[in-house]
Amino acid sequence: MNLREISSLVFIVWLGLLLGAVLKIVAYDNILTGGVGTYILTHAAPELGAENIVTSVLLAYRGLDTLGELTVLFVAITAAGLVLGQRRTDAPSDSDAGFILRTAANLLFPFLIILGTYILLQGHFSPGGVFQGGAILAAAFFVPILASPASPLHHRVSRLVEGLVVATFMIICLLALFSDDAFLALLLGKGSVSQLFSAYSLPLLHIVIGFQIGTAFAGILARLQETEASD
Amino acid sequence: MNGVWLVALPLLGAFVLPMIYRRHTIVGYWTGPVILIINLAIAMGLWQRVSADGTHSIAMGGFPAPVGITFYVDKLALLFAIMVILGTLILWLGKKMGEVREETLLLLIVAGGCGLALSGDLFNIYVFYEIVAVASYGLAASRGTGAGYAASIRFLILSALGSSMLLLGIALIYAMTGTLNLSHLAYLAPQMLNNSVGLVAFALMLIGLGVKAELFPVNTWVPEVYATAPARISALLGGIVSKLALLVVLRLLVLIYADTSAPLLLLSLGILGVITGELAALRSSDLRQVLAYSSIGQLGLVAIAFAIPGPAGIIAGIALALHHALVKPALFMLTEAWGGQLNRLVGAAQVSMLSTLLFIVLALSLVGIPPLPGFLAKFLLLKGALAVENGWYHTAIAVVLIATVIETAYFIRIMRLMFQSKTQQTADAPLMRDLKPALSLVVLLLISVLTVSPISQSLSAIAEEAADKEVYINKTLPSDWHHLEKVEW
Amino acid sequence: MTESAGIIILSYCGAIGLILLGVFAMVMYRHLIRIIFGLMLLEAGVNLFLITIGYRANAVAPILVDGQIPAAAMVDPIPQAMVLTAIVIGVGVQALALALVVKTYQAYRTLDTQELAQKLAKETGVDIIEGTPVYLPSPLAAHKQILEEKST
Repeated sequence: MNLREISSLVFIVWLGLLLGAVLKIVAYDNILTGGVGTYILTHAAPELGAENIVTSVLLAYRGLDTLGELTVLFVAITAAGLVLGQRRTDAPSDSDAGFILRTAANLLFPFLIILGTYILLQGHFSPGGVFQGGAILAAAFFVPILASPASPLHHRVSRLVEGLVVATFMIICLLALFSDDAFLALLLGKGSVSQLFSAYSLPLLHIVIGFQIGTAFAGILARLQETEASD
Repeated sequence: MNGVWLVALPLLGAFVLPMIYRRHTIVGYWTGPVILIINLAIAMGLWQRVSADGTHSIAMGGFPAPVGITFYVDKLALLFAIMVILGTLILWLGKKMGEVREETLLLLIVAGGCGLALSGDLFNIYVFYEIVAVASYGLAASRGTGAGYAASIRFLILSALGSSMLLLGIALIYAMTGTLNLSHLAYLAPQMLNNSVGLVAFALMLIGLGVKAELFPVNTWVPEVYATAPARISALLGGIVSKLALLVVLRLLVLIYADTSAPLLLLSLGILGVITGELAALRSSDLRQVLAYSSIGQLGLVAIAFAIPGPAGIIAGIALALHHALVKPALFMLTEAWGGQLNRLVGAAQVSMLSTLLFIVLALSLVGIPPLPGFLAKFLLLKGALAVENGWYHTAIAVVLIATVIETAYFIRIMRLMFQSKTQQTADAPLMRDLKPALSLVVLLLISVLTVSPISQSLSAIAEEAADKEVYINKTLPSDWHHLEKVEW
Repeated sequence: MTESAGIIILSYCGAIGLILLGVFAMVMYRHLIRIIFGLMLLEAGVNLFLITIGYRANAVAPILVDGQIPAAAMVDPIPQAMVLTAIVIGVGVQALALALVVKTYQAYRTLDTQELAQKLAKETGVDIIEGTPVYLPSPLAAHKQILEEKST
């Protein structure tokens, strides 16, 4: 046992005791009726007209956090690009995964795209949403890369899509800024509940963010996969 | 202009920068500085507005606090935003052309830093903190050496552990109060957070923010990263980004934990940081490490100052933070040529008198020799700590004085080396490219010597404004949320 | 009511268990990949903790049915939105961590943090006493180094 291990163990025991003590207080008293969450539960539908209240928190009430989350993804991609550097053109790539996997990946592609888009749009009124849909979209692009590493996804295309999606999101935000003097304000009309184009500009933001998350995940994975090949 | 632009403009710039660079390298090179200059102008304009009309808050998306996210624009936030923008702009001087990704990450650090200074929502602060953190991992590894990658991954692991603790602290606060908005928390805190769980939440958040603020137990990344990262990046992280984390701690202390024993926790970490940092600096034999450990010590001083209750502590803390933000980046810029073992500095005075003079002025100011502003900052700290009727603060005074002696010792040792006559080894002369930022920072430092009285007046105005919790609540929180009992909506 | 309180307690215990396991793995293991797995466990634990804070006894998901607010209580939507944000941020950090691990391995052919620290110390002269992220900075080792330099 050296000093570091002892101090680490002390820290872990301290944290465990603290959280255990917190549990006693928090667990029995967690029915908060006056918090912000309760306010949103009762006011989100009349104010915004969105059925999925988590979506309206994510995109409207706490829209800046979502913009920040997209920014973190963008930072992570940029930093990973900086760290991993450019791929050498003559670098060897991983061996091909074989006929069955390749065919299956190609077959899966359209279905994954449809499923991802469906979950993305469905998140407006029911369970599902931007994050889940985006992750499935990323899988759609990444499964073919895994199956045949020699023909990776075209970097240019993915970077273009990424840039366009972020720019669209920023433009929506900026338009909102000028229309209402408030960042991420809601643009379009309210519409009626349970239609796709209701709840102001939420559906637009929804689609844009979903595609952004999808392309960002795919971009990170593709970049990691390329380095491994170049080793 | 709206305060949101301080965050939105560099963000937008970072997103379009790679596209511009692909078309025109020269246009791309100038995009970053132009955005920063516009941002600086916006911040100055806001400063005028705040001095004329008082502070104001901005509700994102038109959702007022506490339901939506709010930005609170006061002089303290603007001062730190200006510090980030101006600091990055100065470090841009003499930068190489074509480093697209570094420049993108720098703009994102500015966006995240301005967000940290302005944001009035705990979870939003966490998100901006992560933006700054992830960008700094990338920049720390940007020299492209194996040592840089290894130091950066070790920094990332410690920092990610800290971020999780920060999120856990925020979760505890939400569990206790049901809100994340700082103004609402400030209203509820005396009843709901003045207990042991509230203090636990503060301790967890302090661990998280302390990683960037170089606070005592979680600062072990500092010497490794500053020894391996490019000088500009060390200057940015040590001189500027670290202060933003301390600003968040200050906001928490003023708004939520004013009447608890939380300041004592920060004070003890600050004292330990000063002692360990200065002792380690005395013992190390590498210029970059001396500066890294001395920055741990200096940030410990800022932490001690922020732990002093009331405006006196805030004045001293801001003065120390600003002074360090001027001096330490300039010193780091000199290490681009002089980094490595201290005995490489032998004969530096003969090789480059200008850089030696710069080093001496900066070191004397850091130690606190009277006409230089470092003296005023330390004096304010001692004055503030003396006024508090508590033994711990008086211990802190003793520690600060001892630390000053140690600082003098190691800087004199370095200066003696510089003036030794050349033997076989010769020191390299710093390049003009790296000296440009250092020179401009020293010019700013000397200007501040000449304008001491207006600066100290405006510092006390900033501190009075920042210490006023009632104004923050009244300007941000709508009156129908001014009740303590839990209401059924 | 007691049954749902039991679920809440169980969920909190799971979250705290995950957090402690994650921190343990991060500070006690020396292998970088294991440390990153520890980070993933820790993040999962914190996210579970957040979700549990928003849980109410016998509550349903916060989604309107036919445009009407359901009769049963709904869970708090804010922690859920926070968790979605935190997951995506976590993914970004982990991706960058893996990128750095790949490059570190290419440079040093090892993922053991203590070996890495020794190699780093040799290369940069940084006095690293222990090989893992959390340790107390100790001037003693630096003192030892200075003594050695004097003796040679």
